[in-house]
Amino acid sequence: MKALNYLRADTIDNALQYLDEFKQDIRILAGGTDLVVRLKQDMIKENNILDISRIKELNGIFRKNGTIHVLPLTTHTDILESEVIEKYAFILREACATIGSPQIRNRGTLGGNIANASPAGDSISALFVQTAKLKLKSINSERVVSIEEFFTGPGKTILEPNELLVDIFMPELEENEIGFFKKLGQRNALAIAVLNVAVKMRRSETGTNTFDRAVVAFGAVAPTVVRGRRVEKAIVSSSLDSPEQIHYIAKLSFREVSPISDIRASLKYRQDMSINLLYEGLLGLSANDWKRKA
Amino acid sequence: MKDFKYIGKSVPRIDAADKASGKIKYMSDLNFPGMLFGKILRAKYPHALIKKIDTSQAKALPGVVAVVTWEDVPGLNGFGIVVPDQPVLCEDKVRYIGDAVVAVAAETKEIAEEAIKLITVEYEPLPIVDDPIKATQPDSPKVHTDGNIHLHTKISRGDVKKGFKEADVIVEHTYYTGMQEHVFLETESGVSKLEEDGTLSVYAGSQYPQRDQMQLSRCLALNPRKIHVVSYPVGGAFGGKDELTIQPILGLLALKTKRPVKIVMSREESIISYWKRHPMIMKYKTGVKKDGTLIANEVKIYADTGAYASLGGPVLNLAIEHACGPYKLSNVNIDGYCIYTNNGTSGAFRGFGVPQATFAMETQMDIIAEKLRIDPVELRRKNALRRGDIAPIGNRLTTSVGTVAVLDGIRKTKLWQNREKYLVNDFKKPWIKKGFGIALTYQGTGLGVGLPDYGGAILKFCKNGGFEVGVGLVDYGQGIGTSYAQIAAEAMKCPIDKINVLLGDTDTTADSGPTSASRGVYTGGKAIIIAAERMIKILKSKASEILGVSADNLTASDGCICASNEPEKKVFYEEIASRFMNETCHLPQTEGYFLMPVADIKIKDAFGLPHNIFAFSAHLTLIEVNTLTGQTKVLKGAEVIDAGDVINRQGLEGQSEGGFVMGMGYGLFENMIVEKGIFKTTNFSTYIIPSIEDAPFEIETVTIVNPEETGPYRAKGVAETVMGGTAPAITNAIYNAVGVRIFKIPATSEVVYTLLKEKEKTE
Ligand SMILES: Cc1cc2nc3c(=O)[nH]c(=O)nc-3n(C[C@H](O)[C@H](O)[C@H](O)COP(=O)(O)OP(=O)(O)OC[C@H]3O[C@@H](n4cnc5c(N)ncnc54)[C@H](O)[C@@H]3O)c2cc1C
Repeated sequence: MKALNYLRADTIDNALQYLDEFKQDIRILAGGTDLVVRLKQDMIKENNILDISRIKELNGIFRKNGTIHVLPLTTHTDILESEVIEKYAFILREACATIGSPQIRNRGTLGGNIANASPAGDSISALFVQTAKLKLKSINSERVVSIEEFFTGPGKTILEPNELLVDIFMPELEENEIGFFKKLGQRNALAIAVLNVAVKMRRSETGTNTFDRAVVAFGAVAPTVVRGRRVEKAIVSSSLDSPEQIHYIAKLSFREVSPISDIRASLKYRQDMSINLLYEGLLGLSANDWKRKA
Repeated sequence: MKDFKYIGKSVPRIDAADKASGKIKYMSDLNFPGMLFGKILRAKYPHALIKKIDTSQAKALPGVVAVVTWEDVPGLNGFGIVVPDQPVLCEDKVRYIGDAVVAVAAETKEIAEEAIKLITVEYEPLPIVDDPIKATQPDSPKVHTDGNIHLHTKISRGDVKKGFKEADVIVEHTYYTGMQEHVFLETESGVSKLEEDGTLSVYAGSQYPQRDQMQLSRCLALNPRKIHVVSYPVGGAFGGKDELTIQPILGLLALKTKRPVKIVMSREESIISYWKRHPMIMKYKTGVKKDGTLIANEVKIYADTGAYASLGGPVLNLAIEHACGPYKLSNVNIDGYCIYTNNGTSGAFRGFGVPQATFAMETQMDIIAEKLRIDPVELRRKNALRRGDIAPIGNRLTTSVGTVAVLDGIRKTKLWQNREKYLVNDFKKPWIKKGFGIALTYQGTGLGVGLPDYGGAILKFCKNGGFEVGVGLVDYGQGIGTSYAQIAAEAMKCPIDKINVLLGDTDTTADSGPTSASRGVYTGGKAIIIAAERMIKILKSKASEILGVSADNLTASDGCICASNEPEKKVFYEEIASRFMNETCHLPQTEGYFLMPVADIKIKDAFGLPHNIFAFSAHLTLIEVNTLTGQTKVLKGAEVIDAGDVINRQGLEGQSEGGFVMGMGYGLFENMIVEKGIFKTTNFSTYIIPSIEDAPFEIETVTIVNPEETGPYRAKGVAETVMGGTAPAITNAIYNAVGVRIFKIPATSEVVYTLLKEKEKTE
């Protein structure tokens, strides 16, 4: 591992100054669970490391006007322990529960999971269906983008070198909104997703098995997390009355995904799993009378 | 069982507190003043000729103290327990991707890493030998000049042809098992140091310090007495540190630089460089009568040993010996090949060839049971070997045989008793199917006929009235240190906290053979008992002087020697010790040596076969398969074990649970991918071992009463059998759950899913 210059910021402003000063040659360190692995593999070109982990303003979970804010330094463990999240962002919670192990969840942050931009980043699919927005800040500007706009490829985002992710926020889930996050890994802990899927659906006021809104997202099946728009349309425009009908809808995922073969799984298996994982999740909800888990 | 104070009890591990608190220093933790850091340049190709090695740039790098190549190896440039065919540093050819070519010692780890990058080696790549069956053909490229067949063993008994004619059903299948990595927590690491008196110290975790010393003396051209090997403590081994690993290179660098040199292997380097479990291809043809009687078995085994022999030959032979399972079979034909390829290098690993054969044979048994509609336990019981029977390869079983007892013990498990209830599927999740499976396995204790197989112990009387026990074997997690303390305390009638156990050190412990082959408790334990008997005699004779009672009328009990008929007349060990000290300034020391009893016959051309003592176990699993994903979840497990009499109950449970989970990894998860000689799964994000979240919530351990009269306190070794039957118990349960047969392990989710899909298509 090469020698690095270590910098630490205690406030957002302080961090933005450093980012501006070192431009292309500085890398942010939050929990370090992605970055340190890369550093050890000599895969980081920057020579300056900016530790933001002690910036208090970047840590916390709160509700404001029907919106939930999860600040980027919030760890996965914090998310699992938050009652607000459990009630209003439970899909995100289900996703964070599958990340790594207790040790990784204690250190790894939500902001890091997003900024790392892995197509297999588990929180990302959940944030897609919870229609999260991100606030990006630099020394002289600030912008808000939807999570879907943020990613441009594996490990690639629209984040400028002098920008910091400062807020992640999303509408609170409503009473009549249900959903799930499901992950297929090679084992039950410490597993990178072979595939993951997140779903959010709103029960319609008329009819029992009908929905007037649906958002579906898949992870690890394309260069970035992707939406399953055909599936969403089918859910909204039909009635999910039978396992056959649910299977018919799940099969549409086949056309939403463009996976690859790698050391963890073949393309074919991933294609089939994008169908079956969605199918299993929907069946599970159906068996529960389309209610949130009791 | 006799009333013992320590034997058969759950005694906490003697090393637990030091390990949990971090007080124990592993070899990777050692540091010495002036210490250098070593680094090894590995091969660039899995198979290539070396044309030229240029180290000049590396040598010129400031901070580099030594760069060594084959030219610097003072002695034999080769090591290997059976044949020394593996170079310390390659001269003209590399045979696998982990072959060592050049080594560097530098002031810092970073400089050593930098120096490695500055070395240029010119290669001429050769065609890669990666298919073990093709490798046996005469036109195959050769890994070694003598050809690719390292060993061919053939055993025939009875008349297989006739047997198949008489058979009502013949089951014929080919089985494949994967390459498994030991995954010890501590990678191959250590320090070597030249002492002031010219002795070379080698601190590196391993399984047999005295043999390391012998092999090192050959490579380094040093008198073995000038080499001090310390093998303990070690952060796990499982067979993977039986052979030498980095020791010759460490020694070479320390001799060259005359400074301490340390190497700590990264996980990635460890995975490509050293031993694995042999992948095997096994063709089975089994004939059986309608009533379930096994009548003939024809087996062909191809064991891929990779680039070098190490223990590949004996591993093949053990697979052959256990190929027919613990069943009566008088017509057998077993033909095995141990083959060189460029697929890494395989060697010793817990089970030593038996888990492979068990997977195949126990699947055959499950298929037969289904075909004949016989209960799987009944089928096994019907064919089970009993004491006095002739084993499939021809030896008579004269020691304890627990086959029937462990099969009958299955009924005692909660898992068996409640299996009907457990097997009920959740109607809300019809895609999840539950299944139950069993497998029976056994494992020879010790090295077998024709190999020196002995235990040795040094027992020293201490001033505090306690004893120091020195056995050359190594506690690499299996807990023999604690068992030795129990045995010594029991044999010396002394409180266990006054026993100090020394292990794995050529200076302070007796040569006791390798820590392998489930032989640690058996051989070391027997040697301790012999040394203890001698010590008791000495103590009695001194006590006789003190008490004025004839030694014949004295008894040892509770830390003192007392008159047999007058227990108040006694002298504590401590007093005896001070008496010795006062009189001669010297405390007595005894030694015990024990030769392992061997089988009644030798098998022609099959070195090490047969074994004489066997441990048996039946493995049970309850699993569920998610038919949508192919994922198998192990819900419950149980092992019924014939361990002879148990020395440490808690230790046995630890072995059973650990063995079960390791077998689970073997059967379901651990998929070492090697493509054209290149490892694709070199860390734990791609080489998947089970986590605690994957282990079943409950693993029952049930023992049966079956004392082994020849053993220390009638015990025998179980460290391997506990692992061997789990994989087939799981794959048989998968069949029970979803009706697909697994012929190749690991049965990963994708494998099971693909089989389910194929089945759906054909239905
Ligand atoms: C053993 C192990 C298991 C894992 N398992 C999983 C898993 O199951 N699922 C999963 O999704 N991930 C997993 N991970 C990956 C990792 O833990 C998560 O992605 C984690 O959330 C990263 O957070 P961090 O704070 O550690 O990020 P860091 O490593 O500190 O940073 C990651 C990247 O984000 C950038 N960054 C961080 N914060 C900001 C910010 N506020 N603004 C701009 N850029 C920022 C950094 O510069 C860096 O490029 C695992 C990692 C390990 C080592």
